Amino acid sequence: MIFKSIKWRLQLWYGLILVLVLAGFGFTACQLEWGRQMRRIDEELQRRIGVVAAALRPPPPRRPDFGRQPFGSPPLNQPPDEGPPGQNPRPPIEFHLPPQAAGLFGPGDQNNFYFVIFRDGTEFAASTNQPNRTVTRSFHPLISVNTPSQFPAKEVKPPPPYVIGEFREVCRPLPSGEMIWVGCSIAPELKQLNLTALKLTGAGGIILLLGLAGGWWLVGRALRPIDSISSAATKISAGDLSQRINVAETESELGQLAAVLNSTFARLEAAFAQQQQFTADAAHELRTPVSVVLTQAQTALSRERTTAEYRETIEACQRSAQRMRRLIESLLELARLDAGQESMKRARFNLAGTVDDCAEQLKPLAGQRHVKILAELAPVEITGDAERLAQVITNLLVNAIQYNRPDGEVRAKLEAQSGLAVLTVADTGQGISPEDLPHVFERFYRGDKSRTVSNGNAGLGLAIAKAIVEAHGGTISVSSKPGTGTTFTAMLPLV
Amino acid sequence: MRILIVEDEPDLLRSLAQALREEGYAVDTAQNGEDGLFSAESYDYDAIVLDVMLPRLDGWELLKRLRKTKKTPVLMLTARDQSRDRVKGLDTGADDYVVKPFDLPELFARLRALIRRSANRTTNVIEINDVKIDTAARNIFRAEKPVELTAREYSLVEFLALHRGEVVTRTQLYEHLFDENDSTLSNLLDVHVSNVRKKLGAGFITTRRGHGYCIE
Repeated sequence: MIFKSIKWRLQLWYGLILVLVLAGFGFTACQLEWGRQMRRIDEELQRRIGVVAAALRPPPPRRPDFGRQPFGSPPLNQPPDEGPPGQNPRPPIEFHLPPQAAGLFGPGDQNNFYFVIFRDGTEFAASTNQPNRTVTRSFHPLISVNTPSQFPAKEVKPPPPYVIGEFREVCRPLPSGEMIWVGCSIAPELKQLNLTALKLTGAGGIILLLGLAGGWWLVGRALRPIDSISSAATKISAGDLSQRINVAETESELGQLAAVLNSTFARLEAAFAQQQQFTADAAHELRTPVSVVLTQAQTALSRERTTAEYRETIEACQRSAQRMRRLIESLLELARLDAGQESMKRARFNLAGTVDDCAEQLKPLAGQRHVKILAELAPVEITGDAERLAQVITNLLVNAIQYNRPDGEVRAKLEAQSGLAVLTVADTGQGISPEDLPHVFERFYRGDKSRTVSNGNAGLGLAIAKAIVEAHGGTISVSSKPGTGTTFTAMLPLV
Repeated sequence: MRILIVEDEPDLLRSLAQALREEGYAVDTAQNGEDGLFSAESYDYDAIVLDVMLPRLDGWELLKRLRKTKKTPVLMLTARDQSRDRVKGLDTGADDYVVKPFDLPELFARLRALIRRSANRTTNVIEINDVKIDTAARNIFRAEKPVELTAREYSLVEFLALHRGEVVTRTQLYEHLFDENDSTLSNLLDVHVSNVRKKLGAGFITTRRGHGYCIE
């Protein structure tokens, strides 16, 4: 569960990375320090091994007294052997450490260097402080190479210094067959190394803790907007659409996300409210015709009626049913246009011809109301759905006729203007009041706040016209002067 | 009982008026707010059925203006069913509120209740000596026996009974029993009164000469 959380996973990952980096760094630091110490020790060892090698030389013609050693503490145990008889003549050798070099080897804490000299596989000379490893030394591979020794011995490349136990040693085979080891205890260095490692581990641990704490704080801070986003989203999904994400800093990526989500929520709420309003309006529009049907039917059924009365009742019911049918069709059409399912046919046609046809069909209605239709149509070819646009034009013309004064005029004008077909339908009616003007394209909006029974599309006509024009990529607008008339302007792209 | 209906949907207006007339009411009609207000101010209706959405003058405005001069009971008829609309309607001075689509029997019952309340009565049954008038069923019993009355005769009895003890003038009776479509012959009222006296007893309605009629 905890590893599903982004916070914990982030924490784990950078904790892991931090540990690796710190461990790598600490290991390298120890390595470097160790290497430096070893180089220093190796230099000392090489210097000493040179001194020891120089002290090992053939005896002078006068045999010196072996008992008189200036270097008392490491006594030279054995007189130089002749080696096994019958073998190659092996020059005798003697070891005489010069007095000035005596201080180079032990004893004491500060100076714990030692040396061992092997000749023919056995210890020939050694300082007193040499650790007791004669046995292991006699199995040294170089000894087997040189034993039984030939003279001159094989040229053997001196091996690099090595560490054995708590000692650092260097070995040098001499051409004369002797092997010299010089070594020293590296216990202080090991102790030092351990201490350094411990210090580095401690420092690393502190850095790791600081890093984790800082990371925890940083991740918490960075993820805090997510908490408020998720709590707001939870409330919204529970139905409270008025919730918004509270974001103080909008600069960060999450802040921007929250702002985008907030605007999405706002649109969602608006769409929801619009939908509710639309449903309420639609239900409202259906109430009146349903009332008519109910009242007519209940009245007719309350007692015996004449045929004529029944006929009248049925006619009234039919009128109401027709009204409901028109309303339902309009609602469905709007719903389809909203959903984008209403695919517009796209064909080239002459818009002027369509306007002319619509005007021709409406002549009888205009005649009834004593309104003249004047058309001034330039031939304009556009691409679109002729049937749907005819619906728009008819709607505009019917409105212009119905809201006109008797003996008024309806002027339809069509022209091409900078890539647009511009259709204007102007009437000479009462006009629309300025407070109603911005709402005329809204669904179910009606200026006079009452049903216009003769119209029948319940205030959806202009909303549908707008949806159709916009589906063609065009715009529709209205301007009106109260008392003078209203002008609707539809602009459609030519292609 | 005379009722005014203000409603702009012609089919609804016609059927409502017909139904109410068949219930024995005298019914006047108006198709827009201005005509409705004019009628409402001109007569003392027993009740007004008022649609909210009306051309020229909407129901709210009509009610507001009417309340400056008249206390006629008003039943609002509307398609707006949200509670804030009802609150607005009742606060503006409506006495009851019916949402479309409505059931006719319910509308009738609400109208009866409105008229009853405006006459300061609490029940549908009015008892005068041995005569019992059931205003809901529109029946009249005399000594527990049903009495056959025409609709107009019943309305006359009901109106006088609701104004029991008051002297009701002939003009008032004409205004409440006949609507604008009725031909009001001057002696029609006398005919109804004499018929009622035959059926319910000569002393049931007393004549105050020069003033009008009264049930004591």
